[in-house]
Amino acid sequence: VTGLGVRARRFLTLGVALLALAALLHGAAFFELHRLEPTPQLTDLPLAVSLAAWLLVLSFLALQLRLRTRALAVLVAPGAFLGTVFAAFSASAPESGEVGSALWSHLHVLLASGGLALLGVAGAAGGLYLVHHRAIKRKHPVGLPSALPSLENLDRANSIATALGFLLLSLGVLTGVLWVETREGRLWPGGLHANATLAVWLVYAVLVGARFGTKQSARIAALGAVTGFVLLAAAVIGVGVLR
Amino acid sequence: MSLLLVGMSHRTASVELRERYAIEDPRPVLSKLVASPEIDEAVLLSTCNRVELVAWAREPDAARLRLRSCFERELAGDGAPVRAAELDGALYELVDGAAIRHVLRVACAIDSLVVGEPQILGQVKDAYRAAVACGACGPILGRLYPRAFATAKRVKNETRLAERPISVARVAVDLARQIFESLEDKAALLVGAGDMIELALDSLRRHGLGAVRVANRTPARAAALAARFGASAHGLDELPELLRRSDLVLTCIGGDRPLLDPPLVRQALRERGHRPLFAIDIGVPRNVDPAVNELDNVYLYDLDDLSAAAESNARERQREVEQAEAIVLAEQQRFEGWLLALAAVPTIRALVSRAEQIRRSELERALSGLALDERTAAAVEALSRGIVNKLLHAPLSRLREELEGEAGLAHLEAARALFALDDEAEDDSGEGPDPSR
Repeated sequence: VTGLGVRARRFLTLGVALLALAALLHGAAFFELHRLEPTPQLTDLPLAVSLAAWLLVLSFLALQLRLRTRALAVLVAPGAFLGTVFAAFSASAPESGEVGSALWSHLHVLLASGGLALLGVAGAAGGLYLVHHRAIKRKHPVGLPSALPSLENLDRANSIATALGFLLLSLGVLTGVLWVETREGRLWPGGLHANATLAVWLVYAVLVGARFGTKQSARIAALGAVTGFVLLAAAVIGVGVLR
Repeated sequence: MSLLLVGMSHRTASVELRERYAIEDPRPVLSKLVASPEIDEAVLLSTCNRVELVAWAREPDAARLRLRSCFERELAGDGAPVRAAELDGALYELVDGAAIRHVLRVACAIDSLVVGEPQILGQVKDAYRAAVACGACGPILGRLYPRAFATAKRVKNETRLAERPISVARVAVDLARQIFESLEDKAALLVGAGDMIELALDSLRRHGLGAVRVANRTPARAAALAARFGASAHGLDELPELLRRSDLVLTCIGGDRPLLDPPLVRQALRERGHRPLFAIDIGVPRNVDPAVNELDNVYLYDLDDLSAAAESNARERQREVEQAEAIVLAEQQRFEGWLLALAAVPTIRALVSRAEQIRRSELERALSGLALDERTAAAVEALSRGIVNKLLHAPLSRLREELEGEAGLAHLEAARALFALDDEAEDDSGEGPDPSR
């Protein structure tokens, strides 16, 4: 990432264009999947991961339209690729829909995946911020304008993605509770996935509070975004894989 | 006699070392140097990026030692002594042609940290004026430096080296853009009111920086500068408040102690909500304590840190530099020719004198044996004079012509050997040729 020079800008533009094309095809695949009878459950882990990968790319594309953060593609693209490969190779036969709880389960997966994707973008922005910050501190990037976005923009991307991601994640947790309540008649299902996700949500609540409630430094916020996303990915995807 | 240059620059010495030898008034040092029997003339150039002594020395070996001792004693500032090995590693010595070339290259900003920057010429002129003012400049350096200024003018007019010079301010802006997305809503604080600050102020304004504030020890100077660029002027007592409101700080002000230290900057960061602060310190001695870079959200660059940017700048401008180098070489040869011509004067004089001596003695011997009337004797004398003049005309003309070229010295030496002029000079006085005579 640090090696990105002026010439890398052309490759970044090409990379972003390819990502946009991939997102279009991925979206078309989801549309086709939705037309299947019975409609596949998004609660299926490979499908949820595939959805999160798609939303990750969409979040990145939306963010880079507003902020000049094309370089985030160097982290977002491999993340989305790995997610899609995982989904493709571990996909099972579609399960039939659950009567009565389908709405909540769909909403839960959609919102939680959106949260995961946005917090993934925040983590990527945080990671890139730390790399760029270190390079500037160590006086490596002097002179030439780097292909990396400015620290200010990376921090802004981190901030926006964290705020939106946390909102979606919170709604995902809430809809998950409602889904369990509809299906099982109790509010909290327990289990590793639910408990780990709640723990990470609490971690994010602290991070978001520190980020927006106090005058936290951008580097600490970046560190928080990376740590938070690693924990979240472990809680949502890691635990899902172990199951 | 020899032209000597002993010095250190951004290429050989760190800013920590250079700031130890930086000097504001070179005159006392120069007066001491020219009082030494081995040095006739001297100029001392002391800038942020270099400290160099140039001397016209009658005893080159002794003068070289004297110039080095000047770094060890007169120029060494207070504080812990610099290790001899460290100083040896930082100092370079150039003699005659190499020294001339270096002086010309420095004046043309080819050897500058930021190639093509315009400040150095003014600094070289100041150094020359100081040497003239204290009587340290004589006919040789008094000729070399104006030649250097003329060369710089040629480089400026005949190459594009000075067009859109990549100044420190421009490098600062490029770096600032890696930290801040937009500079329009950012505020800059410039500490100092010298030439560098003026150039930076001009450049920052052109790059669209939002608010610009100038702080100086003498607020009146800051006010005069600020008024010209639509900036606000402040005293140094306002620094804590100014730091709080600034995103980019550029310092270049005299003083032995750093103006910005970690406690002051930490306090400002706290008050500004830990928003990033980009500081560029181009002062020598440094105005910002290097420990400030350890603080979170502070990015401090000093002159040495900017050298990498300057390296890329130098690569970009290689073609212009090559043209400038060609001009420098031509001017160097021109000056060396002049120096050689100066050295040739005693040789030519001795040759003419020797021929005249032979003519007279041979004429006297011939006339003493002949009973010639006055008219005939005058005709014979005119004949002898004419023969000698015609015989000497071609070699002397050729010698003068060749002095302009590379073979000049060889011809001069050949003439002295063929006509046995050194034998005669030793017989006469025991002294060799001396261009200063």
